[in-house]
Amino acid sequence: MAMLADVKKRTVRINGCVASAQAAKYADVDVIAAYPIRPYTATMMALAQMVANGELDAEYIVADSEHSQLSIAHGAASSGARVFTGSSGVGVQFAYELYSPISGSRMPVQMMIADRTLDPPGDFGSEHTDALSTRDMGWLMGWSCDAQEAFDNHLIAYRIGEDPRVLLPQMVCQDGFFVSHITGDVELPDTGQVKEFLPPYKHPYPLDPRHPVSHGPQIMPEQGPPLQLERARAMEESMAVIEEVHDEFAKIFGRRYDPWIEEFMTDDAEVVFFLQGAHAVTARYAIQHMRDRGLKVGMVRLRTIRPYPTDRVKDVLSKFKVVGVIETNMGIGGVSSGGVLYAEVVAALYESQKRPLVLSFMAGMGGEAIVLKEFYWMTEKMMDVQKRGKIEKRTHWVGFEE
Amino acid sequence: MSYTELTVWTRGIIMDKEGRDIVNSISASARLEGKYAQAMENYVDNPDRTNCPTRKYCRVSDGVIENALTYENEQPNIVVLVEGTMVKGWDYMRGMPPGGTLVINTHYTPEYMIRFVPGAERLAQLVCVDAAHLADHKWLYYRLGELGLDRLSTEGAAERNKSVAPDIAAPLIAAVVKTTGIVKMETIEPMIANKKAFEMALHELHVMSLNPVAV
Repeated sequence: MAMLADVKKRTVRINGCVASAQAAKYADVDVIAAYPIRPYTATMMALAQMVANGELDAEYIVADSEHSQLSIAHGAASSGARVFTGSSGVGVQFAYELYSPISGSRMPVQMMIADRTLDPPGDFGSEHTDALSTRDMGWLMGWSCDAQEAFDNHLIAYRIGEDPRVLLPQMVCQDGFFVSHITGDVELPDTGQVKEFLPPYKHPYPLDPRHPVSHGPQIMPEQGPPLQLERARAMEESMAVIEEVHDEFAKIFGRRYDPWIEEFMTDDAEVVFFLQGAHAVTARYAIQHMRDRGLKVGMVRLRTIRPYPTDRVKDVLSKFKVVGVIETNMGIGGVSSGGVLYAEVVAALYESQKRPLVLSFMAGMGGEAIVLKEFYWMTEKMMDVQKRGKIEKRTHWVGFEE
Repeated sequence: MSYTELTVWTRGIIMDKEGRDIVNSISASARLEGKYAQAMENYVDNPDRTNCPTRKYCRVSDGVIENALTYENEQPNIVVLVEGTMVKGWDYMRGMPPGGTLVINTHYTPEYMIRFVPGAERLAQLVCVDAAHLADHKWLYYRLGELGLDRLSTEGAAERNKSVAPDIAAPLIAAVVKTTGIVKMETIEPMIANKKAFEMALHELHVMSLNPVAV
């Protein structure tokens, strides 16, 4: 364990975007495929400076669109490079065609997502819809809630994705502004620690003229199912690897994250929030204030949504009376007519013997900050449901109701 | 509990670093003093465009800052105008509680400038400092040889000059710290690159004391 003084010396105050760029530098990436879109732009600018200053030896390619950006990432990964790319909002959507081919060819490309609301109306704020709309494309996916966690998640994700048992691409997501543009203390590791944790990447079958192989050939329909099954299995089997890697991360870096969920003040909680990302920061304060008033409220924060920890979510949430899902995403016309997270929660709980009542809160839409009094309002709604023992209104748009 | 919000209004690109230096150095000093502090740029103003108004925020508190994720300072106690003509045209006084401080970079006196300030009755003091003169500022417009170098958008903090407050930010920081005591002089002084302008400003502030009233 490093001495406290050493740790202090290495602690820098940077925002989430710069933390991601630092993580890519520590991961010693070979190829960076960039195309500007806010808020991700700050990451590509920081990386450009590192390459220009000679701090990072990498091919820095500025693409002509996000579609090309991901195509470059795919090609570079196929030749065996460790690749870093990223985007936000509509940029994530413009590259959509590439997500399935990249995971289908089992290329552990890493993509940093700094969430941004989709158009309309051209809003910079964070909504998780951009990344979540690609959630079933075979990419590992999870959210960080501050700059330190963003830094750590990048290293963790490379290690998981590049594991020969997994070989899947990763979306390492952070909220635009709330994480990407707010500074926090980030402890930068020793390069020795990172070398120990993240060995150089070696793809088993890279494109190499000296050892010819085929990638992504046209196939017959009957050859499709085994490929799809393999990709699905890789995702399923990654769960054991994810736990292993988090253990190892804690051993080397001294910071332990539960790979799947963070529980906050849930021991005797009756009603809990279920959410992803940065709003957890305000939720923690809100919960502490409500605890002072004697309310039995807590929070469950999902850290990894792909692969989805179905059994863990079921076991954890079955302890409570009411769960309020804070969506920060759009699922128009979906199961709850609110966001998509509700469906994931309710499906996980279906097999439980003790199902809590589940509400969907449309809050933080368009990247609006969810303030303390909105958490109090949502708690009141949950406690009302607890008292009545049934749900009269499944989805609430916070700020639009009494 | 003491909680202070500082909002800096500046001009995109050409004076953006000045604004950033003010909020960053004050927040860093507050943290050194064991307080909780946060500095950030207005998310919607960026990426900045040449000359467009951009805002920078700083929050200093004795306790944990619970509204850390809110985009803007809703109740600025201190407002700084990095460029004097910004005194007209924007409601930079919006939300200021009675007893606030306004600092302007100008060669005019507070007696002259106060007529342009919207909602001046909330001010406890209006501070004018001729920061451009004190820092011997050569306006970037005329530094043609360097113009290309300095015209970088701030998204990603692409800064060529790594020093803190080498130019007009130094006298403005001196004005804020001396008239509000938001941080201690001895904490912030070592961070400032342009020490000469910083020291001179301490003696050349034009402060107009006012009796603030609630609006």
